[in-house]
Amino acid sequence: MKSYAYLFDGLTVRRVLSVTAICAAAAAAVVWIFLNTYRDLLVSALCVGYTSMVLFTVAGNIRQVRVPREVMQLAAIVIGSFLGTILAGLVKGRDVRQMFGERMAGVSITMGLGIGFGCVVVAMFILREKHARDQARFHRAESERHQLEKNLLEAKLALMQAQIEPHFLFNTLANVQHLVETSPSEATRMLDSLIHYLRAALPQMRESTTNLGREIDMARAFLEIHRVRMGARLDFAIEVPDPLKSHAFPPMMLITLVENAVKHGVDPCCECGSITIRAVESEGRLRVSVEDTGEGIKPKKGGGVGLSNIRDRLKALYGASARLVIEERAPHGVVASIEVPAGGAA
Amino acid sequence: MKATAVIADDEPLLRAQLRSRLARAWPDLEIVHEMENGRDIDKVMQEYEPALFFLDIHMPGVNGIDAARVIGGRAHVVFVTAFDQYAVQAFERGAIDYVLKPFDEERLAVTVERLKERLEAKPAPLDALVEELAGRLGAKGADHLRWIKASVGSNVRLVPVEEVLFFQSDEKYTRVVTCEAELLIRKPIRELLEELDPARFWQIHRATIVNVDRIASVRRGLKDQAEIALRDHGETLVVSRAFTHLFKQM
Repeated sequence: MKSYAYLFDGLTVRRVLSVTAICAAAAAAVVWIFLNTYRDLLVSALCVGYTSMVLFTVAGNIRQVRVPREVMQLAAIVIGSFLGTILAGLVKGRDVRQMFGERMAGVSITMGLGIGFGCVVVAMFILREKHARDQARFHRAESERHQLEKNLLEAKLALMQAQIEPHFLFNTLANVQHLVETSPSEATRMLDSLIHYLRAALPQMRESTTNLGREIDMARAFLEIHRVRMGARLDFAIEVPDPLKSHAFPPMMLITLVENAVKHGVDPCCECGSITIRAVESEGRLRVSVEDTGEGIKPKKGGGVGLSNIRDRLKALYGASARLVIEERAPHGVVASIEVPAGGAA
Repeated sequence: MKATAVIADDEPLLRAQLRSRLARAWPDLEIVHEMENGRDIDKVMQEYEPALFFLDIHMPGVNGIDAARVIGGRAHVVFVTAFDQYAVQAFERGAIDYVLKPFDEERLAVTVERLKERLEAKPAPLDALVEELAGRLGAKGADHLRWIKASVGSNVRLVPVEEVLFFQSDEKYTRVVTCEAELLIRKPIRELLEELDPARFWQIHRATIVNVDRIASVRRGLKDQAEIALRDHGETLVVSRAFTHLFKQM
């Protein structure tokens, strides 16, 4: 069986009590106009009040979209006052026919008062509801902002912790160890690259703002190291016009893309691959891309934590005006690009 | 008789390094072959019949663990690794031989002494340990769809599934909606359902799959349906009657 219980959602004890209180007050307020006793008026008021309340609740819960909810609720008050007045007559044991005959004047007044009070109460109710809704919306916006801040903080933390992989460090040192014995000049070059990379990558040495040039230098140091380590398997090129190097660019994003290109692009495929870093500026936007000719992305292989970290940070820094796009490269490989508004020098 | 060994490492300098270190620490050991990864183990076994394999754990293509699996008990295995906490713990527990990069002369000497003794005996079976290592280091949860490929103009865009708010079938295509973009793919909802991680992606309608992480709120809608509001996106999604049970209170 279909349940209609939801129609009475909100018909709480609290609502019944407040309607009762309002009715008692209303009856007290008008008792001096009428010849009737307070008790008589209270009965009428309660009949009108409860009927209107039930209809008002149902009107608010009916699932329809054609008529605005407030209009439905006002209509419920009018109908409720009408029905409530008749109900009051019945409760008092009066003849319904008589009510619409000689007692019409009194009945109209009861109805009118019912509608009047009802509208005031409903207006207050609707205003309060709207206030509550606004409040809720405000809280939601607030909590979303907090969430964003939290994400940013986590992203920063993850960034600070995970930058220098021990695996990378030890493997590189093992290479240096060998080169020291066999080719000291190459060992020196590799150590230079490592120092360069560490200087940029160690969190306490990193500045909060940086420019594209510095990020490129760090990526180059990283790629130089890998070129030595991977022998002939890795080749790389950096095509970044000098004027763009002074542009502000968020730290540690480019290196993440480059690491991915090595780790997930070139390294897994046994043949040689190449990585190209490019930067272009057009229409006030700076686009920095890392292209690899590696094995490409397999749909079922995990995407890095690094990428969502970049997305979170871009969103926190630039809102909707920055983005990270990852595309497949023909015939194989991946192009990952970061687009930010081309800001001033940093 | 001289002992024979094969070295497998994807980094050429490190192969040379290990070879020269071993030449000093174990002059009687003959390195009969070098490999860039663990491919063609069988061929190498046949051709060189080495008593010993030095296997780097991380190699492209066939890695050291896969190679150890193929070797089985046919030769002694020494793992080579730069830094793998888990692996080293497992090695210590399983009394497996390993060498750490960068190579330390004294430690290498100790390992060599132990290896000399071990070579007298038959290679111990490594199966259990190899499986444990594979489980720890291998690709976990690799069977769910992680990337959506969609063409945008002449390019193929790659979208990590966690970025997707929802999938919705739209006549011939499936809409892939993210915060920033809306893409079309040909893969039908039915196939997506089979491939996506069911913990994260729920079907809520014949035509819709939603990313649960991106749901802001669920409210009752018309008839017995429910409506989902998403975070960072204006569109509301309808939960059809058959799926409202997913959102019933606990």
